[in-house]
Amino acid sequence: MTALDAAALATLAAVAGRLIPEAHGMPSAGDIVGESRVHFVLGARPDLAEPLARALRPELGDDPAARLATLERDEPEHHAALVQAIVFGYYTDKGVRERLGYPGQVAKELYSWKVPPFIEEGLTDQVLARGPIWRDPATGRRATG
Amino acid sequence: MASEPADVLIIGAGATGGVVARRLAEAGFRVVCLEQGDWHDKGEYRGAELDWELTMRKQWATSPNIRGLPEDYPIDESDAEVSPLMFPAVGGSMLIFAGAWPRMLPSDFRVRSLDGIADDWPLSYEELRPYYERTDREFGISGMGGDPAYPAGGEDPPLPPLPLGAGGLKVARAHTRLGWHWWPEPNSILSVPYDGRRPCVQRGTCQQGCAEGAKASTDLTHWPKAIDLGARLVTGARVRRIETNADGLATGAMWIDREGAEHFEPARVVVLAANAIGTARLLLLSSGPGHPDGLANSSGLVGRRLMMHPFANVGGLFDEDLESWQGQFGCSIESFEFYETDERRGFVRGAKWGLAPTFGPINAALPSRAGTQVWGPDHHLHVKAHLGRGANWGLFGEDLPDEANHVTLSKTLVDSSGIPAPEIHYKVSDNSRRLLDFHIEKASESLMEAGAYAVEVDRLMRYSGWHLLGTARMGDDPATSVLDRWNRTHDVPNLYVVDGSCFVTSAGVNPTSSIVALALRAADHMIETRFEQQVPA
Repeated sequence: MTALDAAALATLAAVAGRLIPEAHGMPSAGDIVGESRVHFVLGARPDLAEPLARALRPELGDDPAARLATLERDEPEHHAALVQAIVFGYYTDKGVRERLGYPGQVAKELYSWKVPPFIEEGLTDQVLARGPIWRDPATGRRATG
Repeated sequence: MASEPADVLIIGAGATGGVVARRLAEAGFRVVCLEQGDWHDKGEYRGAELDWELTMRKQWATSPNIRGLPEDYPIDESDAEVSPLMFPAVGGSMLIFAGAWPRMLPSDFRVRSLDGIADDWPLSYEELRPYYERTDREFGISGMGGDPAYPAGGEDPPLPPLPLGAGGLKVARAHTRLGWHWWPEPNSILSVPYDGRRPCVQRGTCQQGCAEGAKASTDLTHWPKAIDLGARLVTGARVRRIETNADGLATGAMWIDREGAEHFEPARVVVLAANAIGTARLLLLSSGPGHPDGLANSSGLVGRRLMMHPFANVGGLFDEDLESWQGQFGCSIESFEFYETDERRGFVRGAKWGLAPTFGPINAALPSRAGTQVWGPDHHLHVKAHLGRGANWGLFGEDLPDEANHVTLSKTLVDSSGIPAPEIHYKVSDNSRRLLDFHIEKASESLMEAGAYAVEVDRLMRYSGWHLLGTARMGDDPATSVLDRWNRTHDVPNLYVVDGSCFVTSAGVNPTSSIVALALRAADHMIETRFEQQVPA
């Protein structure tokens, strides 16, 4: 994993704030996607380290919008890595997920012994009442039984 | 490695390799299987972890070209409109498949007779039905009998159906109002404990491995039993060619281990179970003086007629929270309302629809299916509108066979063992495009009737080649088919192909239940004809 230096982290925060700013009760990604989130993202996705570092190189200047535009036009793989790192970091943050009301993919117990609502409502009865719909290969017509 | 030939050598430990190995081992055959991948422990699966949506786009991606694991082989797909998907492992692509388990319909076996195109199968739905019922029991299928899209009679799925979820219930009600068919989808995912396995917990991460073991895959359902009965499974074994003798019989396979050492595994009978791209690749790699165009290829059809089911996704957005990131993935409900040919629509054949969950917040921001990316302040509104508030119809259109859609060997690309990679050429036909356009329109109508305020469409999803079919079709005429009606190659009497390569036409349904039923039927035939089987001296 390639660690990002302070300058790269600052650039990342600036771009993150541009893509996902504070609005509608949600925080800016510029305040969320710091060293800790980057460490997590690159730990899970080490393949992003090199293209992310390339996307954050100082030669691309201080303007986040211009950086994004240049990368999207000339270096789509580096642009994709930058966008993914920001989104991955933002939406794996505990506080962001809580504000979204998203608990993660949680385990839920099935109650297969309960009569399901679609049976109680008679929904399949109505499908059955319309009769078979398969095409009989012997006749080429809709089956009758 | 082994001096005494195996009764049967199986190449590939996925869905069909497992089914055939278990059945033959039960009948007392000495079975050896070579698998290029490895066993995967349930603890490796990321569905319950924070990095689930990160790793599903790389390490647990469905495309070998994206994953790039050492045991993957690369595929040159530069001339293909759809990317083939697969996974090299014990259990094979079942580790990452959705688990939807519909059967083919009776008309699917008679496409030439009914619609005047493509070909008829050399068997019927009724002939395959007992094998569907047996494999339903072996894998533990959840579902509900009585679906009027199929002939009445026979066994119901052994387990009760999985929940429809809030989205599934809304769409089922909508279809009731429209007078359209729907039914609880059969899934190879347990709704109750079965055969020592735990039931589904509705985590919705089925396509990145099931940490509960609720979703069936042969590493859980078949291989442990086969191994207990004496089958020998060698992992990390990459087969590079099938050998034949002067009599034209298969004698075994040359394979390469993880360290690069080469071995020969002798066998009396060889069974290919390596999917419709891997099997075609191996047959083409096994050319020799008597068969310069590839093994079992006197018809010229090995690798031809590749079918992958052009797939469209139609997603509805709803005002209310449906918690749609949860549920089996897998499908909740299916519809065959527009499955059969109606020539007034301007195309032949049809598509099965399956309603699937959505993903988590990262997919809401960076959609892998239908949808857009939104940045700036409105990004938050976009994510909130999508997260948990969607329902996705997946539309599998029947893919008609076309000899121009084919697998060949790359002249430049090789795998990590230096073996030529497959190169695929695949174009979506005009019939398929018209078919998908019609079904997209109808699926949109379905979702709007269910209360969706907007519908998003992916008209042809590139990373949707889950269903690999047709590259060694079965048939009665050796001039126009590679396999006979029992999955045995016409050219080599002791060589079988039991994966989806054997498909004559694709049907318009998820094919795994049909693939494994056909494989079990082939295994039964091997057992019944064991004393007439021609083998090398």
